[in-house]
Amino acid sequence: MPKFLTSINAISWYFLFPVIFIHFFVVMFPSVLSLLLCLTDWNGFGRINYVGLENFQELFRDRVFKKAVKHNIIWTVMFLTIPVIVALIIAYLLTGIKRGQLFYRLVYFFPYILASIVNCLIWRYIFHPRHGLGGWFENQGIDFLAKSPFAMKETALYAVAWVDMWHFWGFLVIIYLTGMYQVDDSLYEAADIEGATKFQKFRYITLPMIRPIFVLSLIIIIIWSVPTFDYVYILTMGGPAYSSEVVANHLYSQAFQRMNVGYASTIGVMMFFYVGIIVGFFAILRRMGWEV
Amino acid sequence: MEEMMNKILNIFLTFILTAFFATSTFAATKVVWWMESSADTDPTVQEMMCDAFNAEQDEVELECVFKEDINDTIRPALLSGSGPDMFDTPGASYIKIYQDAGLVKSMQEYADQYGWQDKLLGWAYNSGVFDGELYSIPKNYETMIYFYNKTLFEENGWSTPNNLEEVESLAAKIKAKGMNVYAYGSAGWQPTHEHLVGNYFNTYAGPDNVYKALIGEKKWTDPEFVEAIELLRKHMVDEGYWSGDLETYYSLDWDDFNNEFATRGSAMLMIGTWGFNVTATNFGETSDDWDWNPLPILNSQAGSAPNYQLATGGTMSINAASKNADGAAKVIDWILSDKERALKVTGSLGYGAWLLPLKYTDADFDPNIDPRQKRFLTEFAEASDSGNYGYTTWTFYPNDPGVHIWKDMEVVWAGDITPLEFMEESQRLWDQARADDALVPVGKR
Repeated sequence: MPKFLTSINAISWYFLFPVIFIHFFVVMFPSVLSLLLCLTDWNGFGRINYVGLENFQELFRDRVFKKAVKHNIIWTVMFLTIPVIVALIIAYLLTGIKRGQLFYRLVYFFPYILASIVNCLIWRYIFHPRHGLGGWFENQGIDFLAKSPFAMKETALYAVAWVDMWHFWGFLVIIYLTGMYQVDDSLYEAADIEGATKFQKFRYITLPMIRPIFVLSLIIIIIWSVPTFDYVYILTMGGPAYSSEVVANHLYSQAFQRMNVGYASTIGVMMFFYVGIIVGFFAILRRMGWEV
Repeated sequence: MEEMMNKILNIFLTFILTAFFATSTFAATKVVWWMESSADTDPTVQEMMCDAFNAEQDEVELECVFKEDINDTIRPALLSGSGPDMFDTPGASYIKIYQDAGLVKSMQEYADQYGWQDKLLGWAYNSGVFDGELYSIPKNYETMIYFYNKTLFEENGWSTPNNLEEVESLAAKIKAKGMNVYAYGSAGWQPTHEHLVGNYFNTYAGPDNVYKALIGEKKWTDPEFVEAIELLRKHMVDEGYWSGDLETYYSLDWDDFNNEFATRGSAMLMIGTWGFNVTATNFGETSDDWDWNPLPILNSQAGSAPNYQLATGGTMSINAASKNADGAAKVIDWILSDKERALKVTGSLGYGAWLLPLKYTDADFDPNIDPRQKRFLTEFAEASDSGNYGYTTWTFYPNDPGVHIWKDMEVVWAGDITPLEFMEESQRLWDQARADDALVPVGKR
């Protein structure tokens, strides 16, 4: 047998082969197929007709798609601020707790391990106009939460995002806490000698030292915000009146309800390019010497 | 020794060959049927249909497999060229797509052989005919009606409404008593909106106009349709007929609104005939009595007599790739051949499922049947026979215009578009579906 076939390099490729094989058929091949389908009017079953860039032209006329993109941007901004700020503060405070810290970590992380359907049902009942908080307040003679925020077009998107953030922020606490424990104690000791306040230590030591993990969390949030689907689907189906529709829901509706698979593929391709731009942006930052 | 070995070998081979031929000659043909799953009905269907079929004959062995979201499950199975011998779909618009793609078998030869056209109600048979051949048979038929709390009506001296004026006058009286006019909600099923749209099309614009629009002789943007949507918007948003207000309607699921109706939170429940079972059960736990009526006619152009909208709730078909199509046809024929058995099955399910569209007569009914349910079965048959029928969106609309009806109705209710803009989009999608040859059969009126 030729030597190159038994070299260490070759053997490592043998072990990788099953994964690459599966990845090709489960991820790469459908992705490429999707790129081709966006140029067709396929309904998921029958004839496939080439329609050129018609789907892309339709996309820019599609008021629901535009609305969904706007909602995705709002969603991303919310996730980049509220859970990040809360998680940073809580993680920093937790570093000062010596006894019982595990309990808090468990409590904060618990919603993250629950299935999305469970989280959604919990909040749907909390906001239920008859059996939830609204009903309870009504019995006390107080007109508060009489209508579910999931059912009002002004609040539906924020209410769904709230539930998703409630489930997600505990995850951020854990990864920030992990980063904070890796900061060298001698830096804090030196700051103590210089008389630094708790906030100054957080601002000038903790934050810069956890920057790689912090930036990674931002990248994760931006990328995960693009295909966000399950919480919207379970709680509002994108309604009322598309007020909580996000891009992935619109894609699902086009592919599986309206049977416009070609058009849905076009939406998928746009999502793919958007994620590509985000990843490319951070890759450029890394090349420029940023610790990301 | 060698002779002995040969003998043993001969006996062994004879045994193996006999066993092989016996099993291949006498084994029943196995037919697998993927059915839409419903926790409430699956055990009854398994026992009274699948097990009963297997017990009655030994030619075909039927295996019923209950699947959640059958349409999502069956699609990849059919596309891969495999899948079960028989399968359910949610409605005729899906069959049209499968037929175009060659994934569903024409059952015309079986229909001719077994005389299925004579057994089924005409409109129900026609709903499965595409390009002159039969591709699907409805498993269930249903229509939209309203239930009302009879005790409550008698206590207050209210009469059931027959026209728009009476509906609005009664609604004012009900609201004055602190109750909601109708119980309903869409949290459990967003397409619930299309029930209401269909009701207003058929009782305001009228079935004749709906029929003309379905076959392209009228525009959906014509005034009667736009006015129907405007009236629905007024009743939903301005008047809060359904569960008090729009937001509560969006928040209530099946259990919520059925419970609200049974506990006097609402005086009426406008729903499909699948509501018989749960209404009877819920009222059984109260001291109130209930009854039902066909929907009131809201405009004179909808005719003077009440109309029943035609609807099929699920269909059964044979997979084009099935190697046991003959066996599958035998299963279907067994199901369609005994009206008494069919009524017994649907009776066990409260007439809310498996109500096969067969030509029933008075003599077919169990004498113990609830008279209110019997009245529905006979009145529906008479009305549909005499042409007093309308059209539901989920049976007669192609996919894209059908989804538009329930997805975009919320946009009208939100005030983001006008009823006219809503109907213009509807017309555009219908034109597109017509151009794509994606229409579903309507049957001549």
